[in-house]
Amino acid sequence: MSAGASNPEFVNARVRSRRATLFADEDYRKLIRMGPSGIARFMEEREYEDEINELGARFSGVDLIEYALNRNLAKHFDDLLDWSEGRLYDLIARYLRKFDVWNVKTVIRGIYTDTPAEEIRTDLIRAGELDDALLDRLVDAGEIEDVIELLNRTIFYEPLSAAFEVYEESGTLVPLENALDRTFYERLLADLGRPQEGPEAMYVEFLQAEIDFRNARNALRLARSGADLDPSAFYIEGGTLFTESELNRLVNDRDELVTHITEDRTYGDRLSTALDQLREADSLIQFEHALDAALLEYSDRLSSIYPVSVSAVLSYILAKEREVENIRAIARGREVGLSEAEIEDELVVL
Amino acid sequence: MATDVKPTRKELMAIEDRIELSERGHGTLEQKRDGLIMEFMDILDRAQDVRGELTSDYEEAQRTINMARAMEGDVAVRGAAAALQEHPEITTESKNIMGVVVPQIESSRVSKSLDQRGYGLMGTSARIDEAAEAYEDLLESIILAAEVETAMKKMLEEIETTKRRVNALEFKLLPDLYESEEYIEQKLEEQEREEIFRMKKIKDKKEAEEAEAAAEETDPFVDADVQESVAGGD
Repeated sequence: MSAGASNPEFVNARVRSRRATLFADEDYRKLIRMGPSGIARFMEEREYEDEINELGARFSGVDLIEYALNRNLAKHFDDLLDWSEGRLYDLIARYLRKFDVWNVKTVIRGIYTDTPAEEIRTDLIRAGELDDALLDRLVDAGEIEDVIELLNRTIFYEPLSAAFEVYEESGTLVPLENALDRTFYERLLADLGRPQEGPEAMYVEFLQAEIDFRNARNALRLARSGADLDPSAFYIEGGTLFTESELNRLVNDRDELVTHITEDRTYGDRLSTALDQLREADSLIQFEHALDAALLEYSDRLSSIYPVSVSAVLSYILAKEREVENIRAIARGREVGLSEAEIEDELVVL
Repeated sequence: MATDVKPTRKELMAIEDRIELSERGHGTLEQKRDGLIMEFMDILDRAQDVRGELTSDYEEAQRTINMARAMEGDVAVRGAAAALQEHPEITTESKNIMGVVVPQIESSRVSKSLDQRGYGLMGTSARIDEAAEAYEDLLESIILAAEVETAMKKMLEEIETTKRRVNALEFKLLPDLYESEEYIEQKLEEQEREEIFRMKKIKDKKEAEEAEAAAEETDPFVDADVQESVAGGD
């Protein structure tokens, strides 16, 4: 954690200029009509020049675009952590630890499947709190147990150590991956309390929505799969949509679960259309899409109400993530032959 | 060739035995061929259904993986796939359809529940689930198609072999045997006729000799006159 006083004014001044470089709706409309090489060229002319040039010799096509997007995202988020101090650093790092989770998972999966270290390194998104040196040591560790030992000064050490025993018994990565995700989500709201107003109230509201949506996704996926799994193992504390006992009860009855979400005062109206679609079709994809759109709405509000606060920084983080996801979706969509209409349907921003 | 056979009664009997056996075999093989064709038609119907399902499962799997790759990114999809190390198991047994040994493929651990796929539930999305599910369905379809289409191929080979055997019996072996039988019968009949003729000749000669001898015994002068007339004639 960074020492010193919180510096939201300093960070927000820089974030505003970064925000100005984000792609606009019109840019996405242009990109949809381009092929992968056109998209790469368009990116090169904009914010992604350095990354495209650095990676151009190693990758081509959509892989180049995807890796350039990840590297650019990592650069910007790393800057945020470098600039911020004190309380602001803590609040930003909480959210960016999702990339630490991603990286540790990538390393563990790579070791589990004997993937060469260089390939694992390529898939890392160095946007979290874990520094490059530690990530490199993790990649070179060779054994999952050694990876856990190397994380001994992080929040992931204890949960991973506990999950490692289950992993050894079951032989699957599920306990380790769930331990990482659970640690991330549970630490999101730790020590924040329930502020009623101000930027932190909005920040907390957003993170609660993130947790609620994650619980809703997991509950619906469990209900759909029919697998004999303990729903409590996938419940994340901190949200307002479900209590643990409610989730346990509702997982066995999908209709009741959907009704529960529909009747929720906070999210019911916002998700009603997606929930109606969910009732009609078996697929959860449109529902997840609606959840993403709802989170984007939150992020818009975050930036406008308290422009010089952590919520504005978080709003930028979400907008940048959305940009990366949208460009990747367009490029991959074009690569795999999705129509313009299909890609447009899938983009949250359009 | 009919001319290669010895025209003996023993050979005729052997050929008659072979004809009887071949006719019986021909009938049996015809029944087998018809039975195989009926079984083949059933399998063909099933194979067409399975192939249709395979095609639609493949298209669905491609669609879901394409969407997952587009929306989650290749790195995420590859990562989720890497979390699974356990491969499905396939065991093959065999069953007999009208003498044709066809494989029976049993698969296990193809369809997996959420917790068996290796990736954590909390950090992934329904797109990954749907892609994994679609590929599990596709794999099931491929295994079923492999079983049905191999059975179909083996049945087809057996039908071809049986058809060739039926045709060989019908158009080659049996006609040759009939020809040989006819040839031997004709030869035997000819030999019989020759034998009868020969016997008849011998009998006539014998009768003539007997008659001559009898005449000599009854009138010796007649015999001297005959000798003189024969000598005068020379």
